Formats: sequence, C-alpha cells, structure tokens
Amino acid sequence: MWWKILLFFWIAALSVFAIVTPIAGNLADLAGVAQWSAAKTIPVRFMIENTGAAADDGGWLLTGRDAHGRTADFHFAARPEGLDAAEGYLAIARYDSDQHRVEVARILGGYPSLAFPFIPGLEERAKIIFFHVPMSWMTVIAFLVSMWFGIRYLRKKDMEDDFRSAVSAGLGLLFCILATSTGSLWAKFNWGSFWNWDPRETSIFVLLLVYGAYFALRSAIEVEEKKATLSAVYSIIAAATVPFFIFIMPRIMPGLHPGSADDTGSGPVFSSGMDALMRVVLYSMLLGFLVLYVWLMRIQMRLHRIKLRRSDTALSSTERSISHV
Amino acid sequence: MLRQAFAIFAKDLASELRTRYAINALLMFVVVTLAVIMFSLVGETLSSGALTGMLWVVMFFAAMSGLSRSFVAEEERGTTMTLQLLATPMAVYLGKLLFNLLLVVALNVFIVLLFLLTMDQFTVLQPDLFWTVMLLGSLGIAAATAIIAAIIARANTKGTLFPVLSFPVLLPLLMAGISATKIAVEEPVWDNAWPELQMLASYIVVVTTVSFLLFDFVWKD
Repeated sequence: MWWKILLFFWIAALSVFAIVTPIAGNLADLAGVAQWSAAKTIPVRFMIENTGAAADDGGWLLTGRDAHGRTADFHFAARPEGLDAAEGYLAIARYDSDQHRVEVARILGGYPSLAFPFIPGLEERAKIIFFHVPMSWMTVIAFLVSMWFGIRYLRKKDMEDDFRSAVSAGLGLLFCILATSTGSLWAKFNWGSFWNWDPRETSIFVLLLVYGAYFALRSAIEVEEKKATLSAVYSIIAAATVPFFIFIMPRIMPGLHPGSADDTGSGPVFSSGMDALMRVVLYSMLLGFLVLYVWLMRIQMRLHRIKLRRSDTALSSTERSISHV
Repeated sequence: MLRQAFAIFAKDLASELRTRYAINALLMFVVVTLAVIMFSLVGETLSSGALTGMLWVVMFFAAMSGLSRSFVAEEERGTTMTLQLLATPMAVYLGKLLFNLLLVVALNVFIVLLFLLTMDQFTVLQPDLFWTVMLLGSLGIAAATAIIAAIIARANTKGTLFPVLSFPVLLPLLMAGISATKIAVEEPVWDNAWPELQMLASYIVVVTTVSFLLFDFVWKD
C-alpha cells in the first residue's frame, strides 16, 4: 500500500517540479540569441556583483555574474526594487551588442538556485522531455514485456502468461497513444505541424499499427489457446521487424528529434551532453512511470484472477443445480 | 522433407492451374487498379519518382489480395487436418513459401511489365538495379506474408485481417524497396542503392528465419 502512495507523490511532485522550475540562460545564451535576433528576449539568471549606479538615461546600471562566472553590465529601466536585499535576479532580458550590455526588460524574481538550461529553439517547450520521453520508453518496454510473456506462453502453455502478454500490450497501447498525442501537439507548436514523418514519428506510428493489429488478431480468434498462441507468434514476428524503426532508423536518418543523423548539437537534451538537473528529473520520472506500469499490470492481473474465480464458482453452482435436477 | 515440400508446392500449383482462382482474380485486380490510376492521371505529368510510389502501392495491394490464399484455401476446403497428418510443419511451410514466391514473382513481373507499357512517363535509368530490387522485394513480400497468411487462416475475419497484420511487418521492406526503386529510376549510380539492398537482403533473412522458428506453433493444433 505504502509504495502506491509514494508513487503518487513521486510522480505528482516531479511533475510540479518540472513545470515550476524556471528555464534560465546565462550570458553565453544571451549573446547567442542576440546574433539571431536583436529584439528577442530570453529568461536569464545572474548574481549581483555590485549594486551599481544610476545610468545617464535615468535607468540603473549594475554588474552581474552568471552561473558560469562571467560578468557583464546589466541595464534596468529604473532602479530595481529591493536591490540592497537581493542577491540576484531571474529576469527577462536581451543582449544589446551596440552598447555591450544586457537590457533587462522585466524582473521575474530572485536568483533561482535550481533552473533548467536555456535551449535555443525549445525554451519552455523543452520540458516536454520529462513526460513524453518516459511515455515513449514505456511504449517500447511494454511491447518487449508483452513479447517476453508471449515467448513464455509458447514454451510453457500457461494461460496466465498469455493474459500478462495481453495486459502489457494494452498498457503499451495506452502509453503509445499518450506519447503520440503529446508529441503531436508539441510538434504543432515547435515544428509547425502536427505530423512531419520524422523517423521517430514513423516509429511510434508503426508501434501503434502493431498494437492495433495485435488486438485485431486477438478479437478475431475465439478459441482461447489458439488466440494465445497466434498472438504470441505475431508479437514475436513484429518484434523482429520493429527494432529497425525504433532503434536504427531514427539514428541513421536525418530528422527533427534529438539524436538524428544530422543532429550535430543536440546539447543539453540528449545523452552525454544533457544538463545534470534535467537528467535527474528525467530518470526519476522514468522510474516513476516504470513503477506505475508495474502497478497497473498488478491491478489488471488481480482483476483477471477475480473474474476467473467468479466464473469458476458460477460454473460449479450451475453444475450443482443441474445435478440436483 | 524437401520431397514433401516439393510435393506440396506441386499440389498447390496443380490446384491453382486447375481452378485458376488466384491467377484470374489477381490479374483482373492488377488491370483494374492500373486502369483507375490511369483514369485519374489523364493529362497529368508525374515524375518517375512519384510513379514509383504508385507501382509499390499496386504491388502491395495485389499481394494483400492474393497471398493469403494458400493457407486460407486449405482451411476453407477443410484439408488442413489431412496436411497436418501427412507432412511435417517445415515441409508445409517450405512448400507454401515456394508457391507464394512463384505467385508473387509472377504477379510482380506482370505488374511491372504492364506498368512500363502503360505509363509513358515511367522511365528506368538502371534496369539491372530495378529488376534486382523487384526480385528482392518479391522475395521479402512472399517471406513475410506466408507466416501471416498461416496466422490469419485460423482467425474469423480473414480477408480484412491480412493487410492489417501484414502492413507493420512489411513496412521496413516497403520503405527500403521504394527508396531503392527511386534510386534505380532517377539516379545513374548503382552504389547509391547499396544500403537499401543490404536492408532488403537482411530483412528477407530475418523474416524467413523467424517464420521457420515459429511456424510449428501456428500450424499445430
């Protein structure tokens, strides 16, 4: 019981943390953005090096230091409130390359000790990684588990294994739909259209088709043993071809997702170059989703056993009443 | 086992030649599909690349409409039991695979010839590569559909289930095949298609191996 409550709070706390924790850039990000667009502002965090003085134009000029230890002049439209007490700020700002100083447009709050890195082109939208990636992983893991129990059924002919296989496929389908819809919605806002036939989009589409075919096959066979055998065989055949889409194609073909062949600087969102805080949150979320999957599997299995027992008792009571007659 | 397999192959071929069920229906299917494409393309100029896609669409759906026949017919005629008693599963699979192979290759040669005759805009820069891809594609389609036909022969809704189950399994083959055909049609260099050819070959090997391993479970009751 206790671990279910823990799981609930684990996922809820991580979700809140992922959403609330700000995205904050540093001076290098500001300079990088300024090269593309002079007017674009991004969130940036800095410590106050000295409280500064009034600028010529009536604004306020102070020296700030970013998380990497680089310093720059920060220009405010007016003297910021509570300047003497503040240690630093999280602010919306842009870099003015003519005057070589940072123009602060708006102060969001104090210096956040925890922040996700600023990623050009993703910004706040980078946070989808904490939800979308675990869902996609669970889609694949559930499929592999389903195939694993399918193989076990073929070896031992235990109907329990077949049911585990079917339940895992059902959960996989659920995660697959969630991953596809979140990804598709996100793609509309980041890449411009709901569907782009990026290699990874193709791979999740193929998984959807495989899951759909698996259940279409199951519903078309009446004899339980035959259903179990054939669906296990089909999931193994599909597992022989699907890895190409999931593990090989997205890495050898050019695409939009991080880690594609033409992806040279996926930077903080992918593998080795990933920001430490992002990695911790992502892996914690993966763990949470994995336990959630196990929990859902257990619920389904219990439900299955209760149904079996009820149909058994119903059967035996019918037999008794028949024998009475 | 090989003798049994050839006997089953010969039996299927003889019964096909006697009834001409699959051949007649499939040839008509191809003619009708091509006619629909031609009607819809009157006055249009399409690149050879776009027509490549159409060629594969015709090939895929022709395969989907005819290839489940070999196993479904046994089930419909009620001869599955006899076959289970008389031959080893391996021999049955091999025989059916051979028959499917012959059917697909003949069908695809017919489709491609008809396509080349009717579509003036469809020109092939590398005929040798083109025919290699067609042959490998046919082998792959036959290998993948044989086991799936065996699966759906046991299900209730045989006709509709076949393409549903086949498509995800066939997709790697279709993608590699289409891209290799495009190279054969549009580019003059054979080497560009090398990764696709390797993929087609490995796909055939993987699917045939998996089918051989799993056919026992599908076939035995």
